[in-house]
Amino acid sequence: MTKENVQGAGEDEQQAQSKKALKKQQKEAEKAAKKAEKQAKLAAEQQEADEDDFAKDRYGISPMVQSQQKLDRALVRVQDLTPEKAEQQIWVRARIHTSRAKGKQCFLVLRHQQFTVQALLAVGDRASKQMVKFAANLTKESIIDVEAVVKKVEQKIESCSQQDVELHVERIFVISQSEARLPLQLEDAVRPEGEGDEEGRATVNQDTRLDNRVIDLRTTTSQAIFRLQSGVCQLFRDTLINKGFVEIQTPKIISAASEGGANVFTVSYFKTSAYLAQSPQLYKQMCICADFDKVFCVGPVFRAEDSNTHRHLTEFVGLDIEMAFNYHYHEVIDSITDTMVQIFKGLRDRFQTEIQTVNKQYPSEPFKFLEPTLRLEYKEAVAMLKAAGVEMGDEEDLSTPNEKLLGRLVKEKYDTDFYVLDKYPLAVRPFYTMPDPNNTKYSNSYDMFMRGEEILSGAQRVHDAQLLTERAMHHGIDLEKIKAYIDSFRYGAPPHAGGGIGLERVTMLYLGLHNVRQTSMFPRDPKRLTP
Amino acid sequence: MALRELSSLEKFLGLKKPNKYSTQGGQKVPVLQNSNGPALIGLVTIASHLIREAKRPELLGDSAEQRAVVQQWLEHRITRLDNCSKEEINIILKDLNRYLEDKVYLAGNVFTLADILMYYGIHHIVVELAVQEKERYLNVTRWFDHIQHYPGVRHHLPPVVVLRNRIYPSGRH
Repeated sequence: MTKENVQGAGEDEQQAQSKKALKKQQKEAEKAAKKAEKQAKLAAEQQEADEDDFAKDRYGISPMVQSQQKLDRALVRVQDLTPEKAEQQIWVRARIHTSRAKGKQCFLVLRHQQFTVQALLAVGDRASKQMVKFAANLTKESIIDVEAVVKKVEQKIESCSQQDVELHVERIFVISQSEARLPLQLEDAVRPEGEGDEEGRATVNQDTRLDNRVIDLRTTTSQAIFRLQSGVCQLFRDTLINKGFVEIQTPKIISAASEGGANVFTVSYFKTSAYLAQSPQLYKQMCICADFDKVFCVGPVFRAEDSNTHRHLTEFVGLDIEMAFNYHYHEVIDSITDTMVQIFKGLRDRFQTEIQTVNKQYPSEPFKFLEPTLRLEYKEAVAMLKAAGVEMGDEEDLSTPNEKLLGRLVKEKYDTDFYVLDKYPLAVRPFYTMPDPNNTKYSNSYDMFMRGEEILSGAQRVHDAQLLTERAMHHGIDLEKIKAYIDSFRYGAPPHAGGGIGLERVTMLYLGLHNVRQTSMFPRDPKRLTP
Repeated sequence: MALRELSSLEKFLGLKKPNKYSTQGGQKVPVLQNSNGPALIGLVTIASHLIREAKRPELLGDSAEQRAVVQQWLEHRITRLDNCSKEEINIILKDLNRYLEDKVYLAGNVFTLADILMYYGIHHIVVELAVQEKERYLNVTRWFDHIQHYPGVRHHLPPVVVLRNRIYPSGRH
């Protein structure tokens, strides 16, 4: 480099330096300007906030309800907000389903169980800007108390359950605030599967639902499902009580496995171990031998089956029936099928709202049944399957695909989703099943099906100690383990029969759902132990 | 397998004297030694020869267009249907189902050798289908049932049961 260049470079350097300095100055100036702007903004906001908030005492976060006072205030339920209440000023406690601010207005949708209503808060002489802003910033799912005037609307609000009214909010207080980030969005949780894929919107998968069951249970669909399930239980009890049955409670901690050793949970019992009952079978029968004639029980059933299918749980609610009869076990079948029909009718007549709500997310065909209930013999069923091209032995048990196919064939031929299959082969039934008197290869046992899936397994029981011992030995069962059971038949036992259904499975099949976990509030399966 | 087909075809055509066939190669391609000429090799070649022998040329198609369609299906049988993999089965059934939507037989309205050989070739697939799948490929099932009941065709093959009525709700497969 020549001196000139060096000098030039030096000058350049100086110029560069001054350029740098200029840039730096500019940057700092910008920064300062921004800071000033921000401060000015804050000051303005502060001013705004301090501006006379004339509605200050009509909104806010209430102190935690620790039962400080007994307010004589009636809270109206969302489902009771109808045009009859127009112009009335009422209090409502509900959750914030959605909130949307638009300029000087805030639209809220309030939800309680299956019902939603629109609420409106607008800046005016009753609400200040700060109040509307407060409402718009409330988090979803927060529980709020709202005092509002019920107003009739000309155009139906399609998106809410209460379509003919909306609330004009006077006061709004937060009773329990929700965290802003929800583990799942309720709109996503009720979206039908197909719609989700088509419109590219999210649906919530089953595991997420079950992990956050408390939120998932708030959805309209879940509320409907479990209300209907409660109805099933209630109809079961009512129908049987009316038939003269007695409700019994059976022990769940037992000393010997009742159905067979493999699928039973063991618990430690002081110095030894015990088992969780796989069914109330043995105790139902002992009650019959104790002259209760007709008994039923509702209680948990524990099956340690490592089956990860759509219809198996390790713990479920069993609705069990046992009945002494006069001369023929068909008397019992008739009683059970009549009970089921009463349950179906009761659900159809009293739970239409719930059925429709579930169908919105999970469409299905309405449940069909015949009166009197259709009863087919096992031989007929095998013939129907063979006519449809299935290859199976006459005394072979029905596999699940064959059961489903049979269900479809029966539906097509008889137009019913509910039927009984009578006279199963003896070889595929438990040891306490009474053999058919006319044909040793068959038995007095029956299964009942809903929508092609088995819901009840039952039979006439062996009530003779001698025959029972023979059958047990034939099945290779250790007689010592069932000594108490056999003994209960030594002192006069009436002929009896019965069966048991699973509450979750019946609800699932009645509604046409596809996974039993949807109808179990906190399901238990080989992979799930919480919540 | 091909030999049994040829023997059934002979019976169908009413040919009095059954021919003696041999096979060649790992694929067991049928060969017919002709006394007055070179050997005939291949299922389609031999079948066409038998048809001419039985003086039933209409079974190969009446018009030029029909003959072309028949040849197309015979080729389809040998090249795509025979020894197809599991994944291809659904594609073949779907295509055939769509093709048969508006046709009674493969060549349109007349029964031809294409129906016979396609029936023989597709039997092992249809016999394994579940009722629901048979309803999904409704046209294939309808054509199959028709051909298996055609007098004289179904010699060596067991009948496949086809239900009269649909038992699965449509559009819900």
